Amino acid sequence: MNFTDMIILAFSNLWRTKLRTLLTTLGVVIGIGALTSMVSFGTGMQKNVTDAFKNNDLFTSITVTSKKVNLDEIATGNVGQMAEALKSEGKPLTDSVLEAIRAIPGVELAYPNLEFAARIKLLGDSASLNVAAMPGAIRQYKPFNDLLAGAFFTSDTSRSVVIREETLSSRLKIKLLKKGGEVTLTHSDSVTGVKLMHPDSLIGKTISLVTMSVNKSKIPMALLGMMRKNPEMPFDETITEVKICGILKRQGEFGRGVFNGNLIIPLKTAEAIPKLGFSSVWDLLDQKKKEGAYGSIHVRLSDMKRMNEVKKALEEMEVGVFTISDQLAEIKRAFLILDSLLGAIGAIALIVAGLGIINTMVMSILERTREIGIMKAIGGSENEIKMIFFVEAAVIGFIGAIFGLVLGWIVTKIATFVMNTQFLPSGEDPINLFYFPVWLILGAIAFSLLISLAAALYPATRAARIDPVKALRHD
Amino acid sequence: MALIQTIGLAKTYKKGKVDIPALHDVTFEINEGEFFSIVGKSGSGKSTLLNLIGGLDTASAGTIIFDSKDLRKMSRSELANHRRFSVGMIFQSFNLVKSRNALENVELALIFGGVPRNIRRKKATDLLTQVGLGSRLTHTPDELSGGENQRVAIARALANNPKVLLADEPTGNLDSETSGEIIQILRDLNKNHHLTVIMVTHDLETAEIVSDQIIKMKDGKIVDQLTKTEVL
Repeated sequence: MNFTDMIILAFSNLWRTKLRTLLTTLGVVIGIGALTSMVSFGTGMQKNVTDAFKNNDLFTSITVTSKKVNLDEIATGNVGQMAEALKSEGKPLTDSVLEAIRAIPGVELAYPNLEFAARIKLLGDSASLNVAAMPGAIRQYKPFNDLLAGAFFTSDTSRSVVIREETLSSRLKIKLLKKGGEVTLTHSDSVTGVKLMHPDSLIGKTISLVTMSVNKSKIPMALLGMMRKNPEMPFDETITEVKICGILKRQGEFGRGVFNGNLIIPLKTAEAIPKLGFSSVWDLLDQKKKEGAYGSIHVRLSDMKRMNEVKKALEEMEVGVFTISDQLAEIKRAFLILDSLLGAIGAIALIVAGLGIINTMVMSILERTREIGIMKAIGGSENEIKMIFFVEAAVIGFIGAIFGLVLGWIVTKIATFVMNTQFLPSGEDPINLFYFPVWLILGAIAFSLLISLAAALYPATRAARIDPVKALRHD
Repeated sequence: MALIQTIGLAKTYKKGKVDIPALHDVTFEINEGEFFSIVGKSGSGKSTLLNLIGGLDTASAGTIIFDSKDLRKMSRSELANHRRFSVGMIFQSFNLVKSRNALENVELALIFGGVPRNIRRKKATDLLTQVGLGSRLTHTPDELSGGENQRVAIARALANNPKVLLADEPTGNLDSETSGEIIQILRDLNKNHHLTVIMVTHDLETAEIVSDQIIKMKDGKIVDQLTKTEVL
């Protein structure tokens, strides 16, 4: 008996007991639906995170610090390591170090990380936010090479800034009109004074950047004020006028935080603005930072493949090196655990469906005992009888897997729709929480077949062993 | 040389710890082209003997040679092959698959015989036409009379061109007229197509008319053995 004949025979046998076949297959459909929707959630999360990294060119980014800090140790709560790192004398990241880094083959761009807090005023609204300084040369990299409106500044000394779209909506009550997208003001928007604007109309608008700096001459007065219970802070306020030259596209839920700063300002312009000494989060680790040295340096590579080579050169310079790509393996492992957990929950549903298959097959054997006897009497071998039952189970498993995948896909679409319409803050781009990679689709089919075949093992063996003489007498 | 030879054949069933003998020291020979009848009352062991020749069951002792091959030494898959190609079986209760029509029942045997799909339908149609069911091809067993069902069973038994047709009480469920028709078909197959037929029956009279050789059985033993000349 060839395989095609077995398939035809299996279909005709299953067709005879339509309702039972339908209910058994439905069990598999639900099992596969649960499994795939759960795992696709895990893969979706992973894809969102890795895509965010890729979209921001983070795999070609390195952060150089003055000290060799084992971030993994610190992340796991090793306080001793942290204290040691804080105590140790690091190599000051001076301009000469910066130049040396720029000279490493494979390094395309290196600039000091500089961030500071500021209050900004735009179109009558004000907000406190983080300002990040970057060189104009960063414009060739993602995500700075593809702006929503305007163009990235080219000069490091210009008074132009790039603002994030989400900063406009969340901090400055400005909603942007987009091509093809519908943006409307809700009732609460109108009450809170949200403005609806075209992105291009914001280009060239002036932002007043208010920064604070310590005025050392005011310190004695401040101390005196404290004693009189009428303190006067020893700060000066500086207002710098800058113009918006571009709007950075929304980075999505997972792309946020890949770089700090709501506003991007040219590096030299930022250096010239009086501000508080603290320039970036890396400074926290370097309290003994030398005057004239940078807290950390951001390095961009021409190609991800040169990462190891550049890292090696940097380590030889005895500076601290931190890369996202190092963390990627760790992130992937974490997602693997998440996927496995979600998969295990889904697999339970499929195993229950497997029990359904066993039940159906055993019932079928009881009903078809005489038929099995007949098949044996006319020459059916044990293997062929066994195969007939295996193929019947595989047909249930395969059809169940296909419709299960469809069900899983529908469930994820509904979940995504509900999530995006009910829970996502207005103005945010829709998030796709689920992802069906090819391996998940093929894997689900293979797993369903495997469970079905495993479920058929006992019934099929039992059918094959039936004594034909007794079976022919069976009613 | 005989087509089938049994020497000291025995079959014992176990029921718990008790042995129930069904056949004891059965020895005979069947030549190619013979019409061989096994006659006896219920429980005499005649069907058990037929099942052993058909490879549906295995003997407890003795030898059973079929076409120079010892059935007792065959593996389970070799026995399946024996049932598929060497013998064709028909039964008192027809044993057709009720959910399949006449054509599909015959085709089932052809499927196990490895006959390609494009030839199967034609061959099954031809066989059913031969037994006079050319106009009832798509009828299921429930829609056919007893005689017609037995004809479908005969067509199925002949599907893979067996050497021997084994008939277990083929007329047991039929009226006398239909029984005569079925016996005539078996006789025709034997005489005109040189097919060896082994028939189990309790009807000595019919057996005496059609058989070349008859064995009479009682309590699992052969009590009498008649050849054609003796029958006549």
